[in-house]
Amino acid sequence: MSASGEPRNAVGVAGRTYPPVAFQIEADRAAEFARAIGADPAAGVPPTFAAVYSLGVTAPQLFADDDAAVEFARLLHAEQEFTWARHPKPGETVTSQGRVASDVSRRGMRFVSFETETRDEAGVPLCKSKALFVIRP
Amino acid sequence: MSERSVRFTKEQIATYAQASGDINPIHLDDEFARSVGLPGVIAHGMLQMGLMGIVAEDAAGGPDKLTRLYCRFAGMVVPGDTVTFTAERAGPGKLELRAVNQKGEQVLTKATADFKE
Repeated sequence: MSASGEPRNAVGVAGRTYPPVAFQIEADRAAEFARAIGADPAAGVPPTFAAVYSLGVTAPQLFADDDAAVEFARLLHAEQEFTWARHPKPGETVTSQGRVASDVSRRGMRFVSFETETRDEAGVPLCKSKALFVIRP
Repeated sequence: MSERSVRFTKEQIATYAQASGDINPIHLDDEFARSVGLPGVIAHGMLQMGLMGIVAEDAAGGPDKLTRLYCRFAGMVVPGDTVTFTAERAGPGKLELRAVNQKGEQVLTKATADFKE
């Protein structure tokens, strides 16, 4: 790690909020995900399917944001937290909104904290995702 | 205590990439992974967390009981690695989680979960 590494973007995108994204929880898709992690597809939507319906629909907005200038090849997912008020059921449509909670550079490494709030059709919060992304110099 | 050992394979990582939609080539293409300084393809952190989640749900008494899951992705997992995931009660509604590879290295650290009793 070099102290001379310039931050990739001097301004950063802290506070930036992306448009909400709707996602329908399809039974087949949830079952495919369950099989991929070795869970019983009959046990319903796996909690970590939030990687798809919450983080998975909003993180691409950050990655596609030219101002955020996140280079995929240098990106590390360093930490992840999900908190659930409840877990979604197949057939439900949920809506997720992503926000850059913080964006700081230290010693050439950039730390982006990205939060996603997922709500159900009634607008009631269902899941919150907090991801910490580290972008290597 | 709930426990599960998983031997990671390229096929499993590719299956997770497909199922999750995370098709970053560092998980799928050895040549690309090496070009960005990795030893070859690596498992998704979220695949590790998914496996950790199943063990946590088991200890919590079912997937619907889980209210929080947290971890740090501390170590790379590559095809051929065997990771043992464990979940242990650490007080009312709290689980302490561990994921340790065949060399005894923790691949997830500070991993915890909360659940409804």
